[in-house]
Amino acid sequence: MIGTIVVTGAARGIGRAIAEKMASTGPLTVVGVDVAPELALSESITPVQIDLTSDDGPSVVREAVEASGAPLVGLVNNAGITRDARLVNMADDDFAAVLEVNLGAAYRLTTELAPLMSDGGSVVNIASRAYLGNFGQFNYSMSKGGVVGMTRAMALSLAPHVRVNAVAPGLISSEMSMAIPNDIREKMVESIPLDRMGTPDEIANTVWWLLTPLSSYITGEVIVVGGGRSLT
Amino acid sequence: MTGHIHWANEVPDDWPAVLAELTRAFQLSRRAAQDEESFAYVVRQDDLLGRSGSGNAIIACGLLSAARTAALEGARKGWTANVVAYDDESDRSAAEQWARRLLEAGDVNGELIRVGSGHIGKTLA
Repeated sequence: MIGTIVVTGAARGIGRAIAEKMASTGPLTVVGVDVAPELALSESITPVQIDLTSDDGPSVVREAVEASGAPLVGLVNNAGITRDARLVNMADDDFAAVLEVNLGAAYRLTTELAPLMSDGGSVVNIASRAYLGNFGQFNYSMSKGGVVGMTRAMALSLAPHVRVNAVAPGLISSEMSMAIPNDIREKMVESIPLDRMGTPDEIANTVWWLLTPLSSYITGEVIVVGGGRSLT
Repeated sequence: MTGHIHWANEVPDDWPAVLAELTRAFQLSRRAAQDEESFAYVVRQDDLLGRSGSGNAIIACGLLSAARTAALEGARKGWTANVVAYDDESDRSAAEQWARRLLEAGDVNGELIRVGSGHIGKTLA
């Protein structure tokens, strides 16, 4: 692939792994939104520091893409947060914050960048296995379900020129999962048939595959990368 | 019947409108959960498939995921959360009847009931 790829939430975890893989793979310019400082030193990465939920967030990213001078071939909507609570105790602010970052930012950025996508381009939205339901995550689960809906609708509206798919990671070794208390995390791992947490690189590999022509006949799909957890 | 039926409103492809509609569902759901009462969302099958715009797809799929998560909480307290989807060939009253049935049954939880046959051969939600 030759061109520009945008990756959001590239400071750590899955987003960082995706940005690293993109930057090391070929003649690509990676516009990384919220990039880890070490990655920002890479010649292949153009760092953009912007709050994607702000009014001008999407247009700032668009300007960076246009300045790259290369066709936009990929977009990875990865930025996400959690604000967990049982539904009965969930605060309005925690509900709104998770919806704005996980869903609103992805929706607004994709809408902004879609007209720039080159023929054969690919959008990959990072959903979560939580879209199938996860205790204490009403807001997060709703946001990721929304990402799935957005993926399907945009797959239809942007076809046949641009493909749109989602990746739904399960329990991945990252800052987000390390915030889970040890005993609960260990129980979660026990319920995973592959008997371990996934790695950010394993998600990056799936994202990479969806960005490339290797997956050229796939659009509107959700690929769960969760070690078989959805079966137990 | 004890419980609440929440009909998803149609929205334009506009983020503030989408967020407002999801917030309306959240507030109803939280109130129901606090009262330990069941609820059922009613959405359109076309929206689960993304066939009526991004805004409506986000609402339908977001509500389905939210119901699945709420159902896990309800299972511990004795209330349920489900979703009914209806297609163009089935009328809204059939969807309403199924939603009422789910509220009364109490033994179906976190489930998607699809009224009509328009979903056959399409992707699983």
